[in-house]
Amino acid sequence: MTGGGLPERVAVDSPSPERGLAGLVLTIVELLRQLMERQALRRLEYGDLSDDQVERLGSTLMMLEQQMTELREHFGLTAEDLNLDLGPLGPLLPRD
Amino acid sequence: MTARPAGPAGNTLAAHRSVADGPGATETVALVDLLDRVLARGVVVTGEVTLSVADVDLVHISLRALISSVRPDLFGEQP
Repeated sequence: MTGGGLPERVAVDSPSPERGLAGLVLTIVELLRQLMERQALRRLEYGDLSDDQVERLGSTLMMLEQQMTELREHFGLTAEDLNLDLGPLGPLLPRD
Repeated sequence: MTARPAGPAGNTLAAHRSVADGPGATETVALVDLLDRVLARGVVVTGEVTLSVADVDLVHISLRALISSVRPDLFGEQP
């Protein structure tokens, strides 16, 4: 973003798939998925879960990650396509 | 620090460790990481909405919500 100017507009009516409805929905789903992963980590570190709960938690989160990848590929979207730039608030998701 | 669970299932959870807890690990913090920390502390959201027509109050909505991570020592055991 260049200094001093107006923020870039998001062209929601452009034909590019990155700004389509599917991208928007998947962005919200990905936000929730990543948020739940982080919350699961905190619960894990708290240390009150049984080994069975930890196993189920981990494998379910892994499955969700795989499903998200499949959904993204189905709509021809990359991980960065889902990452909204919120300007002064920074990126929505980490830029790994 | 608790023992890391064995097997691939534990790696998904362990992968976030450095991102979420590293002190100043990245310059720009992703919003999802901020939300994660806010939930860990707990947040109270309040709202008051009054729907009226022609200056006549018809519907009032009062909202007070506590949103936080589950902490068994604070709120009791959750299944």
